[in-house]
Amino acid sequence: MNNEYMPFVSEILDVKKHTDIEYTFRMSYTNETEVKPGQFFEVSIPKYGEAPISVSGIGKGYVELTIRRVGKVTNEIFEHYVGDKLFLRGPYGNGFDVNLYKDKEVVIIAGGTGVSPVRGVIEYFSNHREEIKNLTLIAGFKSPQHILFAEDFKKWEQNMDVIMTLDTNEGDSSYREGLVTNYIKDVTITDYSNVAAIVVGPPVMMRFSVSGLLNEGLKEEDIWISHERKMCCGIGKCGHCKIDDTYVCLDGPVFNYTKGSQLLD
Amino acid sequence: MGYILNQDRMQVILNELQKDYIIYAPQNKVGEGMYSDTDVVRYERIQQIMDVEFHKKSNYSFKEVLLPISQTLFYYTENEVKEAEVERKKGAIIFLRSCDLHAVKRLDEMYLKNGFEDYYYKRLRDNVKFVVMGCENSFENCFCVSMGSNIPENYDIAIEERDGLYYVDCKDDEINALFEMSDEQKEAVTIHFVQTNDITVSIPENLSIDVIKSKMWDEYSSRCINCGRCNFVCPTCTCFTMQDVFYTDNGKVGERRRVHASCMVDGYTEVAGGGSYRKTNGERMRFKVLHKVYDYKKRNGYHMCVGCGRCDDVCPEYISFSNCVNKLEGAMEEITNHE
Amino acid sequence: MDINTKKLKKNAFRVTKERGLTASRVRVPGGHMDAKYLSTLQEIAEKYGNGTVHITVRQGFEIPGIKYEDMPQVNLLLQPIIEGLEINQPDKNEGYSASGTRNIVACVGNRVCPYGCYDTSGFAARIEKAVFPHDLHFKIALTGCPNDCAKVRMHDFGILGMTLPQYNKDRCVSCMACVKACKKKSVGALTMVNGKVVRNHEKCIGCGECAIQCPTRAWTRSNEKYYRLTLLGRTGKKNPRLAEDFIKWVDEESITKIIVNTYAYVEEYIDKDAPLRKEHIGYIVDRTGFEEYKKWALKDVTLSEVAEVSKTMYWKGISYL
Repeated sequence: MNNEYMPFVSEILDVKKHTDIEYTFRMSYTNETEVKPGQFFEVSIPKYGEAPISVSGIGKGYVELTIRRVGKVTNEIFEHYVGDKLFLRGPYGNGFDVNLYKDKEVVIIAGGTGVSPVRGVIEYFSNHREEIKNLTLIAGFKSPQHILFAEDFKKWEQNMDVIMTLDTNEGDSSYREGLVTNYIKDVTITDYSNVAAIVVGPPVMMRFSVSGLLNEGLKEEDIWISHERKMCCGIGKCGHCKIDDTYVCLDGPVFNYTKGSQLLD
Repeated sequence: MGYILNQDRMQVILNELQKDYIIYAPQNKVGEGMYSDTDVVRYERIQQIMDVEFHKKSNYSFKEVLLPISQTLFYYTENEVKEAEVERKKGAIIFLRSCDLHAVKRLDEMYLKNGFEDYYYKRLRDNVKFVVMGCENSFENCFCVSMGSNIPENYDIAIEERDGLYYVDCKDDEINALFEMSDEQKEAVTIHFVQTNDITVSIPENLSIDVIKSKMWDEYSSRCINCGRCNFVCPTCTCFTMQDVFYTDNGKVGERRRVHASCMVDGYTEVAGGGSYRKTNGERMRFKVLHKVYDYKKRNGYHMCVGCGRCDDVCPEYISFSNCVNKLEGAMEEITNHE
Repeated sequence: MDINTKKLKKNAFRVTKERGLTASRVRVPGGHMDAKYLSTLQEIAEKYGNGTVHITVRQGFEIPGIKYEDMPQVNLLLQPIIEGLEINQPDKNEGYSASGTRNIVACVGNRVCPYGCYDTSGFAARIEKAVFPHDLHFKIALTGCPNDCAKVRMHDFGILGMTLPQYNKDRCVSCMACVKACKKKSVGALTMVNGKVVRNHEKCIGCGECAIQCPTRAWTRSNEKYYRLTLLGRTGKKNPRLAEDFIKWVDEESITKIIVNTYAYVEEYIDKDAPLRKEHIGYIVDRTGFEEYKKWALKDVTLSEVAEVSKTMYWKGISYL
């Protein structure tokens, strides 16, 4: 009988600092189970507890976890550096299925740490540009100090339309200012019957972005979102992430908007 | 097979059973109630048949036997984890009522299915026999008939105690052999199960998630004190929260455990950074009630609530779950008329 | 009219401001009785009194407007109340045989109140059995919990109910209900450490709030009942003051013994010139010193290990002297 609660040891291979409170940890991962962007791991440091962290990058022998220092567990994780070990369980959740977006015009809207779960999707299509017709990324951060994955953005700009906007550019006019929703109308879509959108971020940002996309003429079934909920187990037992009849950890966190819109707290 | 035994002879059987099983049953704990000089009936390992409380509804359910309130999952050092030993090395025999036996199915649904099989539940769930206690009369707040849980299914023994005699209907061959070994006469025994309750509930056919828009939930925001008692006594509530503890201040050694959680209590939905969902008690009440009589069924095909009424028995604010369920029909009318 | 006022006072009647009229004072130890006695009180008031009844501050009844010559008839009518409330009585049908030791007061206690840690009226009745009749002026009051609704600190002996909380950590889910309630409603003796609750015994006042709030029965009450015994509060003209703590976590038997022992101490040390042999015990202790009192009070008292006796005691209050 498999004991899904027992974590495995994973070594910190690399740490990338984005902001004062947001680092990406490259963690050794050699298990057979394939990892998809949008899935998550339960990351723990014994005595501080576990936290569900979504996968921000996937590579041979490693997964990347972008962690924001907001709680007891994540604070402690920040005390660990290259060579140290953490405990992981997972991957859990459904994640994004890149096949759903193939040959389509793709729009990705992400806010703040919401970039993490979609980073894998962006990376995939950045590397397999031929698999989709068009890719527009709208990313929003609070200020220049809050930008995540800055290097990635430079790379992505080479082969997709990237609109990065800040709540405030603090006088640096090389950055756009304003909410991501302001830029939805700037997205060029040639064929509304062949489009897919992914929206990930804080609840309010997701709500307004989706309504912006719908206004632009997108259909609900062409929009995907990812929910964040408290998860103690990640495996459909603890109950915390349930919304209506749906367990976000099992059935999500990625939902087609036709389903996601029905998940009311 | 049916048998009628006095206390001494019943004890002989119980002693035999205890060679291979640990017996859990509701016990009246004198003075352990909420208020001074009040009792509470809850599950305990018992050795004497006289310690079994046959005549009161247990305030807390059998679920604590299969899902310990606080359960250690593993011990750890900085680089190693070691699985916690199983709490019970023998089989278990659990005395419970028909409603609770129906609740076992709900626990199994959650912990053996719904995604992954739960390792810790499984190992306590294996090798368990159920002794269903008859209910000659319905207790206060029971509505098992409405929930279809008044008649037990798949039990090993049914038992009733009347005037010092134990009426036993044994369906388990292994245990029947014990009765035969101690030369018990076979008798025709009928164990009673209620056919009616004073309280009935009706769950509207047209119940939908739209009911969350109803005003009916508002009153609970002021009445409910979010203590979570309704969840902790519920035989079908299965939520838990993880806890990591360390043994000394600077120690690198500790344990991870899980403890029962309540969707009524603060912190249940709190995510890293402090955000939370369902802030008002009315929203929490709605979430709980709909889980019991709406969305669980959507996922699993039958209602979660078994109608034991313990939530009503325990509520310090006299909030009635069954009465709330009975308001759903009006709430559906209210929102349908509004649209 | 030739009436021995000393005798009638001892018989629980009173010299009133109205010449020729007395008032009968009815004891109700613990302030709780069968409702049927109310009709007896009504009968006395309407037949011999002026048709009114006063509910006294010490939870008895005072029936005013009774003619002195009717006292024997009133005593006859009082007999079923005296017997029903099991008041010690040397001579049947003669009414009460003392009035110095006052009616023992109690809040409603755990017969009704959720906070009550014990049956206050029951304990009051047992103390009454041990101390009555007695002419010495003793005031005893009991309250079910540290809320002290009975205001026991204004009496010679104040008894506050306590429970020693029992914690079953295996039933605790860290819901914080006890910690929050203890902080907000009581003294903040509980803290959450490693997901389990730690109780500061020194701080804990045994109110039982944790046992009430706990949704899982992780906190329950102790089998043994405990009390805080406070000493020598008083009202009055000279130096009114609140009682101070004498023993925390004391048991019922010890309390009863201490009260009985105090009678012997007062007999020994009371001001021989005190009018009507009426002197608040506190003034006597002020004279002899607390150590002497303690010696008498704790004679043959075996306290349990949990009991905490105050080493010294100082009273404050307002002095008009």
